[in-house]
Amino acid sequence: MKRICYAAAPVAGSLNSIAHAEIDARAIAFNCRNCHAESQPGSESSIPSLENLSAQQIRQALLDFKYDKKPATLMPRLAKGYSDAELAAVAEYLNRN
Amino acid sequence: MAGLSRRRFLQGVAGLGAGVLSGCAGLPICAGSKAHVVVVGGGFGGATAAKYLRLLDANIRVTLIEPKVKYITCPGSNWLFAGLSNLDQLTVDYQSLQDRYGVKLLVDRVSSLDAAQRRLRLTGGRSVTYDRLIMSPGIDFRWDAIAGYDQAAAEQFPHAWQAGPQTLLLARQLQAMPDGGVVLIAVPADPYRCPPGPYERASMMAYWLKQHKPRSKILILDAKRSFSKQALFEAGWAKHYGYGTANSLIEWHSLADNPLLELNKQSRVLTSEFGDRFRGNVLNIIPPQTAAQIALQHGLTDSSGWCPVRPLTGESLFDEFIHVIGDAAHYAPIPKSAFAANSEAKACALAVTSLINQKPVVEPHWLNTCYSLIAPEHGVSVAGVYKLDAANTIVPVKGAGGVSVRTDVEAVALEADYTRAVYRSLITDTFG
Repeated sequence: MKRICYAAAPVAGSLNSIAHAEIDARAIAFNCRNCHAESQPGSESSIPSLENLSAQQIRQALLDFKYDKKPATLMPRLAKGYSDAELAAVAEYLNRN
Repeated sequence: MAGLSRRRFLQGVAGLGAGVLSGCAGLPICAGSKAHVVVVGGGFGGATAAKYLRLLDANIRVTLIEPKVKYITCPGSNWLFAGLSNLDQLTVDYQSLQDRYGVKLLVDRVSSLDAAQRRLRLTGGRSVTYDRLIMSPGIDFRWDAIAGYDQAAAEQFPHAWQAGPQTLLLARQLQAMPDGGVVLIAVPADPYRCPPGPYERASMMAYWLKQHKPRSKILILDAKRSFSKQALFEAGWAKHYGYGTANSLIEWHSLADNPLLELNKQSRVLTSEFGDRFRGNVLNIIPPQTAAQIALQHGLTDSSGWCPVRPLTGESLFDEFIHVIGDAAHYAPIPKSAFAANSEAKACALAVTSLINQKPVVEPHWLNTCYSLIAPEHGVSVAGVYKLDAANTIVPVKGAGGVSVRTDVEAVALEADYTRAVYRSLITDTFG
């Protein structure tokens, strides 16, 4: 589980404080798996698998959803909830995991 | 665990599992050097928490306590009324959690909780200690809300709000009803499990009645003034079930100022505060709800009947070593749904892992997406993206989320397809 860290300096703070200074891609990307679960052998789904996409492909798709360049029923509503940096971190994480 | 992919983790667990866990096979469960997280409740929240804790940190021992060997999902259970599903198709077990992720399953029930000693006693006689406890016990019903409607009455007038025998009972009553009969669906005020559930249920019943008993009628008696995805549901009902016409299969009545107070079991009549009487052949009474009994009994609820938590970690406001997730917990404005429980569980698992490893808790992100079927080829959805604001309060992210935008034939058919696909994916992500 690689933590994608955009912070220039290590995070300082008490145990119960939020690590606001960095993006932990897992916190967002885990939620992708609700609909894009690791596919089961032999299973077919109308929901696109993320397994054969590069980080760049995922990132571009997420940005296109966010900025209404790629029509879809649900993803534009979700992608608008995240910064471009968060979407890039999520794409990187999903590609590596 | 850092740096391991899920696939590599699974290979590791296959070799490690027996050795790591067998040392703790004796009862009561030993307190070794490894942190022990106990998860109570094997629904969407609990199962996800158990799985993701092990994915995040294989050094944490995870025990899941759940009284049932198999679990019947509430999501999808409305489809049964349309003849689109059955209970077998909605049944999952905990084999993968044990075999693939090394979760220890105890098929048992908690009889008491000693928070000071961080110890649970189980009905079967065992006791279990924990470093952190994650409670995901689900809901219970307020049986005092409608006079005459209690647990015994629910055997005659099912709520079917916990999937299983109640669902079958209601489906059989619908099938046995004469053509021209009336189905009453009594819907509680917010908050309750699965806000759009009653309206999907009405839709699925109407789909079946339209084919088999088309002179019948469904009356939704709602304690609210409006409901989830209302415009989408009403447009779908108009398209498929004559909604808005004299022959509509579905009528929706808001009783926000005129609540249902009493059930007369003999006459099958529900009476409201102003004396309105609603008689039905089939009465589906969904009572107001609270967190499950175990949460009420152990002081984890406030006057609302739900469990207040610090959303950053899911810790109970009443005990820092007990986290509460899922329908039992108060995560408003996140609705009480299986999807949301799964999302809360992941945020909680991340927080618990950080706390155990004495690292800062990362900023949580929650997601909810809820699909409903209005007809087999007509699906609609609502979504929400949630974060913490500066005051550590959960807020929906502005500009994100909302209901289905397109409602043309192609789009609703696609969303119907996604409704089924997301269900299967959520099962895989949670239990698989």
